[in-house]
Amino acid sequence: MSLLRVEGLGKSYTADKQILKNINFEIKAEELVSIIGPSGAGKSTLLRCMNRMVEFSEGKIMFNNRDVGSLDKKELRNVRANIGMVFQHYNLVPRLTVIENVLHGRFGYKTTLQGLLGRYTEAEKERAFYLLEKLGIHEHAYKRCDQLSGGQQQRVGICRALIQEPKLILCDEPIASLDPNSSKIIMDLLKSISTEMGITCLVNLHQVDVAKHYSDRIIGLNKGEIVFTGTSHELNEEQINKIYGTKTEDLITA
Amino acid sequence: MEATYIKRKKDGRIHIKSGNKGDRVLRSTLGVLTILTFVAFLFFNYAGLELGSAITETAYNLKVMFFEPALSHFGLREAIYQVGITLSLAFLATIIGAIIAFFLSLMAATNLAPLGLTRIIRVFVAFIRAVPTVLWVLIFAIAAGLGSEAAVLGMLFHSIAYLVKAFSEAFEEVDKGILEAVRSTGGNWWHIVKSGVLPSTFTYLLSWIFLRFEINFGVAVAMGAAAGAGGIGFDLFMASSFYFDMREVGFITYAILIVAFLLEVVSTRLKKRFFPATSD
Repeated sequence: MSLLRVEGLGKSYTADKQILKNINFEIKAEELVSIIGPSGAGKSTLLRCMNRMVEFSEGKIMFNNRDVGSLDKKELRNVRANIGMVFQHYNLVPRLTVIENVLHGRFGYKTTLQGLLGRYTEAEKERAFYLLEKLGIHEHAYKRCDQLSGGQQQRVGICRALIQEPKLILCDEPIASLDPNSSKIIMDLLKSISTEMGITCLVNLHQVDVAKHYSDRIIGLNKGEIVFTGTSHELNEEQINKIYGTKTEDLITA
Repeated sequence: MEATYIKRKKDGRIHIKSGNKGDRVLRSTLGVLTILTFVAFLFFNYAGLELGSAITETAYNLKVMFFEPALSHFGLREAIYQVGITLSLAFLATIIGAIIAFFLSLMAATNLAPLGLTRIIRVFVAFIRAVPTVLWVLIFAIAAGLGSEAAVLGMLFHSIAYLVKAFSEAFEEVDKGILEAVRSTGGNWWHIVKSGVLPSTFTYLLSWIFLRFEINFGVAVAMGAAAGAGGIGFDLFMASSFYFDMREVGFITYAILIVAFLLEVVSTRLKKRFFPATSD
């Protein structure tokens, strides 16, 4: 059974230019799927269509047996609460503490008033500390986020996504601003999230070798169209050429 | 061979201005203003002016004012009380203004509200700001009568307009990734404001509010005289226009100066603390 099914998805910001054209794919639960492709291929837009951070123009997205396109405001909040998101620039509130930023992940389950008063249950706080400990950053819990390194901030971002108790996590180039060492920590984390916690991950990546090493499946995107979909083994030189429009020797893949 | 793109004057020196239209307009405007200044002096009415005694008497008045300040119609305690009233007027107008401006500016920030609504509020606010505070006070005096109510209402009105512009621009500076992150967790608009926008801009808002308080203090002094709002401004007006008591005028001026100076010190400190990059 598929967790996420995308049928004939299309998106255009202006009438003359289509960002996404007729996108079809399916993702099963507990899979880690990477989307690779050159800049401007529409990877970020595709990812943001999944939880309607970007409204798509045509097609259909089924998430957890619900039609994402036809949800009203309240239902959409509920679906978003079930989809975590991790960003290239972490997008934490720099002046707030780590633990506050993690707890922001609970907003999808809060009423306006609870959110305004900052009411979190003890269970939620316990869970937040548990996750921070699991990701190895619990000693920074009361530090302001701008005092942390990039890799640490990204782990806070992942904690914020995990505390939503999501079925799916969308990662928009999670390692693009990190050094190789932190990148490995983050990718290992994402892998274990999908295998151990059973949370599906959809990851935008720039590094072909990273995608090959970690993903169960890879989707190749070029100029708004899917040009490849298959396992890491099926992604050969010829396919990479097709995705990036250049020879592999001309690319930095790692 | 000489490169042709170097522009030279007739004597061979190199031009460093491009000599565009803006320069010419600026130069001719300044020229016309200079000529008008000289011409104006020729048309003044000099009847009854004795330049010698005018200068010495003004100098004498200034000397009495600033070197022999004293209170004659009320005591020091009363003076402090009146300064307190003026400060309170400014405080009331600022704090109520800041609260109202906060909510309005949320609706005026393009990243938080629909574009149509932000435009409406911005035009409205620009209109209020274009009319000076004194005029608003006089307009409100029609309904509230001359006095402190009209003064606070008028100052409040202008403060709101001023702060809405400042606040909404601060809100628009918030990293849009933060807004996206809160939205993607399923948070609604109020959640975004409370946990994304407010913590990121709180110090800016405080600094703007304090700056406006400083401005409002100055305006409140003037309103005491012009709109009968009471406070130290009214005493200043009475001392200078009714009693012709130069010593008292001097004393009151010093009192206002000290308060204004203290406010300035505090706001500079706030700015240094919160915007170390912009203050020097």
